[in-house]
Amino acid sequence: MNQADVSKLISQLRIAVRPNKRHLKNVDGPEGRLLKLRKTVTALVKHERIELFYNRADEARGYAELLISNAIRHGDRHKATMELADYWLLEKQLVHKLFKVLVPRYENSNISYTRMFKAPRDYPGIFYRKSVLELRGNPFPVLTPDNSQNRNLLHNVLLDEARKEFRREKLANLANKLAAETENATPSTPAQVPVTEQPEQSEEAPKA
Amino acid sequence: MNINVRILTKSVAQQYAFKRIVTFSTKPTQQAAAAAVPQQQEVTGSTVRRPIVPAHYRFVYPEFLPDPKVEWRNTIREKLERLDMLDRRRQIELPEFYVGSILAVTSSDPHAAGKTSRFVGICIHRERCGLRARFILRNVIDHQGIEVVYELYDPTIQKVEVLRLEKRLDDSLFYLRDALPEYSTFDENMEVESLEEGAPVPVNDIKVVLRPRPWLERWERQNLLGVANIEQYIKDKHRKSSEKAQKPWEKYDLMKQYRATIPEEEQKEIFAEVHTELHTLELQRKRNKRKRTFVKPKHLA
Repeated sequence: MNQADVSKLISQLRIAVRPNKRHLKNVDGPEGRLLKLRKTVTALVKHERIELFYNRADEARGYAELLISNAIRHGDRHKATMELADYWLLEKQLVHKLFKVLVPRYENSNISYTRMFKAPRDYPGIFYRKSVLELRGNPFPVLTPDNSQNRNLLHNVLLDEARKEFRREKLANLANKLAAETENATPSTPAQVPVTEQPEQSEEAPKA
Repeated sequence: MNINVRILTKSVAQQYAFKRIVTFSTKPTQQAAAAAVPQQQEVTGSTVRRPIVPAHYRFVYPEFLPDPKVEWRNTIREKLERLDMLDRRRQIELPEFYVGSILAVTSSDPHAAGKTSRFVGICIHRERCGLRARFILRNVIDHQGIEVVYELYDPTIQKVEVLRLEKRLDDSLFYLRDALPEYSTFDENMEVESLEEGAPVPVNDIKVVLRPRPWLERWERQNLLGVANIEQYIKDKHRKSSEKAQKPWEKYDLMKQYRATIPEEEQKEIFAEVHTELHTLELQRKRNKRKRTFVKPKHLA
């Protein structure tokens, strides 16, 4: 039972965090591991969408999220945060991008700043799982299929039915209105009777 | 406004009636309570003050935060423990103290029935959380270094006094074991040194002088701020090995820090839960203190 470290305040991540880190085998030990992840985070901030092995992407994702959340929390006047950005972003022009582009983009968001997808692995090839890691709000076309036009999805089925019903109602109203008008024009002949009788006749016809 | 009040009273009355009828079910009453709260807020106006938890609570009551290790988390157990801790705090005054403060703990012993023992010493370490929170006191008595581990919520503890409230430069003071005895010698009959109300806790920047090697730990590797003469006793090989053992990248390892701490949102939730109770206990303590200040002077002029 250890006490929580309270020296620093950190915002809660909006992604699922594993209880333990992955070691990402490296000859240089933990420092080499971090260098690997720094390269990934730098590439992510630079290109906004990258494709890489799943484990490395999943590890780097947490670091990228925390870097952005720290930048949002402290801003660019905070020395420790600036040092962090300097360490994690190997290309220094990206420090400007972090504070001037990404911070305004994510300031008011209440979901995670990054998104991760599982990608297919090429066969035959290296057996590692692959993934796509991207920043939200990137300029590229979306990777998820657009289901809004799929006619078989339940919400679309329901919408279609509602639309049909609405049209039917409108037509019925129109018919009633027309009938009423004709009734007013020729008050001697009852207008509504033929309207109601007609379907009965049509129904009877196929039976007979 | 009047209409609002009328509606409110009506609705409240309805809710109470409802409550009275359905006493066996908790769920509808909870819902009713939840429904009642926003209405009352509407009536009182938009400036509804919520209990604001002071930022220093996480330093004063670190044991209320759970262990960050995910495998050991259990929200229900944590909550029950917090309730038990508050129960204990209602029985006994457990004051604010830090590593480096000088405490006097009066406790009873199952093997010495009807007797109590008082131990004065400097707190060299605080660890664990929840009901298991504990601290180590150290003193030198009859030229013999003595350390006692106390559990903060142990029911055999009868009184905890803070004789001198201060911090040191380091998070734990285990190096006092290798320091000269005068640095961990404290008078048993020391009197309470009171701080001004609202003053920040002073940091004692005393530099401790170590004995020559052999030491219990490799202090040269730990980047201690409160030790004066490490350089005096280490050789080049120690210097090299300590350089090798340094981990300068750890301050950039964000996920490591994240996994070692409780996120801010969760901390807020936890302290919002216990804040009112702790605050009332604090106020009570202050009142008691004021009463205690009118003590007859020992030495008459």
